[in-house]
Amino acid sequence: MECIITIELGTNAVRVYAFDLNGNIIGSLKGYCPTFHSEPDYSEQDPDQIFITMLYVLKNLLNEVLHPKKYKVLCICFSSSMHSVLAVDKRGNPMGKAITWADNRANKEAAKLKNSTLGKKIYSATGTPLHPMSPLTKIAWIKNNEKEKFKQVSKFLSLKAYILQQLTGEYVIDYSIASATGLLNIHKIKWEPESLKFAGITAAMLPDLVPVDTKVGKLNKAYQASLGLSADTKILVGSSDGCMAVLGDGVNGEGVATITVEDSGAVRVVSDKVMQDDKQRFFNYLLTENKYISGGPTNNGGVIFEWFTRQFGDFKNPFDLEHTMLELINDASKVPAGSDGLIFLPYLLGERAPIWNPNARGVFFGINIKHEKSHFVRSAIEGILYEIYSIGKTLEEHRTINSLSINGSFGTLPFFTQMVADIYNKPVRLRQNYQSVSYGSYLLSATEMGIYKSLDEAAKTVVLPDLATPDKQNNKMYLKYFKIFERLSTKLASEFADIAALQHQ
Amino acid sequence: MNQFVLCHNTASELRLFPHIIEIGVIKNPAIRLNGFPCEIDRCLKLYYIQEGKFEWCINDRSYTLFPGDVALILPGTEFGNESNVLEIGCFSWIHLQVGKNEKGELENPAWSSLSDTESYAINKILQSDHTPILQKFTDAGVILKGIQTELFKQEIGFQARVNHLIDEIFIQVSRQFTRMSNPGRDFPKTFMKLEQELRQNLSHQWTVEEMAALVGLGTTLFNEKVKSYSGFSPLNYLINIRISEAIKLLKIPNISLTDIALDTGFYSSQHFSTTFKKLTGYTPSEFRKNHIGTN
Repeated sequence: MECIITIELGTNAVRVYAFDLNGNIIGSLKGYCPTFHSEPDYSEQDPDQIFITMLYVLKNLLNEVLHPKKYKVLCICFSSSMHSVLAVDKRGNPMGKAITWADNRANKEAAKLKNSTLGKKIYSATGTPLHPMSPLTKIAWIKNNEKEKFKQVSKFLSLKAYILQQLTGEYVIDYSIASATGLLNIHKIKWEPESLKFAGITAAMLPDLVPVDTKVGKLNKAYQASLGLSADTKILVGSSDGCMAVLGDGVNGEGVATITVEDSGAVRVVSDKVMQDDKQRFFNYLLTENKYISGGPTNNGGVIFEWFTRQFGDFKNPFDLEHTMLELINDASKVPAGSDGLIFLPYLLGERAPIWNPNARGVFFGINIKHEKSHFVRSAIEGILYEIYSIGKTLEEHRTINSLSINGSFGTLPFFTQMVADIYNKPVRLRQNYQSVSYGSYLLSATEMGIYKSLDEAAKTVVLPDLATPDKQNNKMYLKYFKIFERLSTKLASEFADIAALQHQ
Repeated sequence: MNQFVLCHNTASELRLFPHIIEIGVIKNPAIRLNGFPCEIDRCLKLYYIQEGKFEWCINDRSYTLFPGDVALILPGTEFGNESNVLEIGCFSWIHLQVGKNEKGELENPAWSSLSDTESYAINKILQSDHTPILQKFTDAGVILKGIQTELFKQEIGFQARVNHLIDEIFIQVSRQFTRMSNPGRDFPKTFMKLEQELRQNLSHQWTVEEMAALVGLGTTLFNEKVKSYSGFSPLNYLINIRISEAIKLLKIPNISLTDIALDTGFYSSQHFSTTFKKLTGYTPSEFRKNHIGTN
């Protein structure tokens, strides 16, 4: 029997799935990797720990599930979070830890660039919002703040590029990950000279640019032996988690948007055209040469509801977050849509799309004497999803969205899914059981292997079985409150700036 | 309980307990100047407030203690009232002689019936970075009172009982500290703290019991939580960190493989080599050669 392995290098964990050739899951395992915060603005991961964790989890899955059942692994396909930066020396050894998407050290570099003419030019060439998440601004930060280190850097890699280099000896970066660096001209699919100049590097300091279905060399002999894999196992470079989630949900043309709600979240659409936005509110990432995934990210997804649960939930057993969360959701379901006029702005972590305001903060608005704890719970969830809606609504200035698909650990909670349908007033499709990101990697692998003729055909085969249909009554209620939510989000800008300044003291 | 003070070199009650330097209760009806100086001692001190309000300084930070509060002063820590004033109120205390090993860790004393592993974990908790004050911890007062009663009555078995009660204080105080720093809500944060602790003492032969104690969980629940959160059993997660750290050290020339093995917590270079090869397919020296070349 033959199988395909997908490896997802996420911010908190490495997830390994095995699929049979028809796309059924044979097994899956995960391994946690910590994010380190040595300074308040810093967010780093240890590349070697990710590598070891990946090997460990992969080996366990092989030894526990695949080898005993005599599966032959035809292909291993990678995906990873976007925007990571890892400096390596001339031997390819990491110079410190990798900087993740959540790192804000390049705040100044990003703010300065955003307000300049060069910034506008770079945004329209690269499609990546000018923000400290972008590797462009992170490399510029290293150039400006760690001059000695910068001189010694041989290459700037993404975490995935490092892992692939460890496994195969090759330096490659796929179009998707590259298009999220702020360094790639997404129209020409070449490194953008203006970006390179701003970052102070040359194209030779970046990995080789390759399409997402590229086979990367061969697995090193030692790993073939330790994992029990044959030399002809294909290693596919793969894509980013965001792009894979869209593919995995089968979203492939206009009219459909994909919503992801994990800790953070995003709303994405697919098109063969770049979405040019004068206000620089959206990203445009490449899945393939002519397929752009455009959309907006939010910092404040499920992580905010988790925070709420930890503060206000009733923990019957130590660390039983899941159960406590479900009890709160149960409370929330007893309150009518709109939480009787209690509105929550979820910006505890500042916000990206659509307001792009790092100083934004959380707000409960409209509290009256009749509000109870359950109103606060419901409005917390509504606030998180209003934010998701505000991204979708801005996307609709550029694209028509008739229906939605949803994924992610929070998005697929029935209460969340139904609320998304009601707020958007659109039907929402979802898939339980497994992650869209991994399924996207399966589809990409299967297409490369010729099981599907094209990614289009592969995407068309995706059936999302469950459907939430919108409740018109609730929608009317939500929209009334959303208008206030939207106004508050921008109206409070100067107060957000003041309070953030005080909090930074 | 009336006021009293027993000191180890004068009190016959302490003859069998050389590790109790001092134990006592004071009821102070009026402010006493020159009554409570800031001092550094080599013993471990525990104070329990019964009545009144006390402004005490521990390691250059001042704390206000109320009835029911406990102050734990580790050896070598400056402690007292900044103006050398003994305030009005009532409190009891015990000073204990505890040895330290070369790493500065508290040793498991001979009189204790704690196992070495338990004692290691408790000392880790006591020495970890937290406030020295436990608020509203009346259990400590009850145990102290128990020790005093045993010492004065000297009924059959009192030697064992006193030592048990001292163990009991350590156990309860450390449990209370972990409950305080891990309120049982935020596993990611708790796990992160544990992970830091493991990394800082990677050469230690950690047991699951020790790790669980640091988090304030029983081992069964601890195993379950770590497995579902990290995907690994606690010990496998530890191996994961060990190998990840070893990889970094292997890329630095001039550190011997034996040193790397021991620093990262393997029993021997042989054990290191086998574990490393099993996972990566390379022996540590092959891996090193690939990454820093032969020179």
